[in-house]
Amino acid sequence: MNKPKGEKAANFNEREHQICLVARMIEDGRTYWVAGGGSPMAAILLGKKLYAPSAIYVTEDGVLAPEPMLPLDPIMTMVSARASYRALQWGTMNSVGFQAQVGLMDCGILNTLQVDPYGNINSTALGDYEGEHRRFGGPGGADSIASLCWRTILMTDQQKRKFVPRVDFVSSPGFLDGSEGARERAGLPRGTGPWRVVTPWAVFDYQERRLRLAGVSPFVTVDDVLAEMSFQPLIAAKIETLETPTEDELALLRTELDQRGQITDVGRWVVRQDDGSFAFAEGGKGGDPSLPRSW
Amino acid sequence: MKTLEILAEGRGDYLKVDPDGFREWVRDHKNRALVPKLMSEKEAVEKLVQDGDYIVYECNYLQRGPSALIREVIRQGKKDLWVGAKFTWVSAALLVGAGCASKLDVGFFLFGPVVEQAVREGRVKAYEYSNVVMTNRLMAGAMGLPFLPVRSFGGTDGFNYSGAKLITDPYAGEPITIVPALNPDVALIHVHQADVYGNARIFGTGISHTEAALASRKVIVSTEEIIDTEEIRRDPGRTTIPYYVVDAVVHLPFGAYPGEMQGRYASDIPHVIEVVGATLRGFVEQYLQKWVHSVSSHAEMLEKLVGEQNLEGLKARATIKDGYAP
Repeated sequence: MNKPKGEKAANFNEREHQICLVARMIEDGRTYWVAGGGSPMAAILLGKKLYAPSAIYVTEDGVLAPEPMLPLDPIMTMVSARASYRALQWGTMNSVGFQAQVGLMDCGILNTLQVDPYGNINSTALGDYEGEHRRFGGPGGADSIASLCWRTILMTDQQKRKFVPRVDFVSSPGFLDGSEGARERAGLPRGTGPWRVVTPWAVFDYQERRLRLAGVSPFVTVDDVLAEMSFQPLIAAKIETLETPTEDELALLRTELDQRGQITDVGRWVVRQDDGSFAFAEGGKGGDPSLPRSW
Repeated sequence: MKTLEILAEGRGDYLKVDPDGFREWVRDHKNRALVPKLMSEKEAVEKLVQDGDYIVYECNYLQRGPSALIREVIRQGKKDLWVGAKFTWVSAALLVGAGCASKLDVGFFLFGPVVEQAVREGRVKAYEYSNVVMTNRLMAGAMGLPFLPVRSFGGTDGFNYSGAKLITDPYAGEPITIVPALNPDVALIHVHQADVYGNARIFGTGISHTEAALASRKVIVSTEEIIDTEEIRRDPGRTTIPYYVVDAVVHLPFGAYPGEMQGRYASDIPHVIEVVGATLRGFVEQYLQKWVHSVSSHAEMLEKLVGEQNLEGLKARATIKDGYAP
């Protein structure tokens, strides 16, 4: 992971913190297939600006390696002149799908409504699909991203209803039932699958295809994280304390990448205390989780 | 003799796969001669969209899609459409809210209360795919094949509610997912430029416009600009869709409104927020009343409801021109 650049910021919100965590995972010379818009796109853009300028990203409409003109108009994160500005190739959904199918995409970055211990992703329905349920938009491009990229980074909130023993609907595949070779038996490409899950509170990796708590934010405890999960994850022998955002990261995010606060204005605020520790500010504003932020 | 083993299969309905039937349709209906196909959106939709058709649109109502044609389909009250709802945002909800659609192949779209209620009451049935799998299905249809193997979609719950199957690959011996080819009845495609015969140019990225045009029985192209065939012949590498798959050419400046048309005009942000809000909060009927039913044509909508000044503003906001002209 890249070392954070700049002085630690005195205050930030949870969403900003989460985006910075993912941005520091971006590596030079690698390809990223990202969900258009929302936190995944903010993370790749921030990562490129600060840590990995030669990282490449593609979006579902076939934009290869753009230098987007920000800010983007609402919804216009794909098939738009600003989002696809100065790309190396303009293709189509089929062309990017085929490029991913032959193995050109190193890493996918996605949001999810729910995730389970095996990294399966639900963006279709909460509840019983054949009975009472609340319907959402469907996998969109996420199924192909999760199937075809070598690795997948998943972004979600640290909430009991999001970390569930079994997702209500597998819209996009993680390690499926967690058994060895399960993806290959389902026809998916060999050697692919989930890599990290990043929430504002924690970072998880996988051990033997099972979610493992690897890092925790300084404004929460391990117990706080576990209390916001409906299952017990594996826990790393040494849990890393995650670095909070820096002034450099936030300046870029606030003034350039998310000028209108469409992505980041949805988390609770975290403030540095007199003793140097971080804690939630009172009266933090929570966004409506049912509104689409990204897909 | 060995039999090919089916390891798993979805139980969703899918549009009948019939590559030879499609070839015969093409033989009998696609005119190879260069004949002018210009007509109004009213005439094109009356003539080429029938109740019960399977319909695809390229891109969507907000992103360089055939928005004016979608509004015309709604205005004419087409019924019982099966919609290929990939990469969609609001188009599917508008068609469902208007009572035009009865089946949806889902890639991605905003559900909202109107679609939820229609599904709950059994007026609309949803089958599950992904955006890429839907474009892969169109690719198979455009290749004249009955199905296509794909490396995604396996192991998902969507697979179980789709027309996909898992088989053992007879060559490499590993499990592989196959999805049924899609040959829609109608494709609606909005382009930057076309000649009167239907040779069409799209600049910028897209979803599966070339595949949809080749795979569909009836193709309506709406275009920002009609250009001379001489211009097509001077730069044939720019032809995205060849004339002989196109059945109607409709000249519709601002045909992607309220969405963006790359290089020509930006999206109308207040309108985009209005229609997304209407979809999410269940006000589709009010939206359609205002923007579709209160006018008789796209031109009238632009004149009465949008206005010259607003349109000029949208053009002025489209400052990026690189790549959007020959």
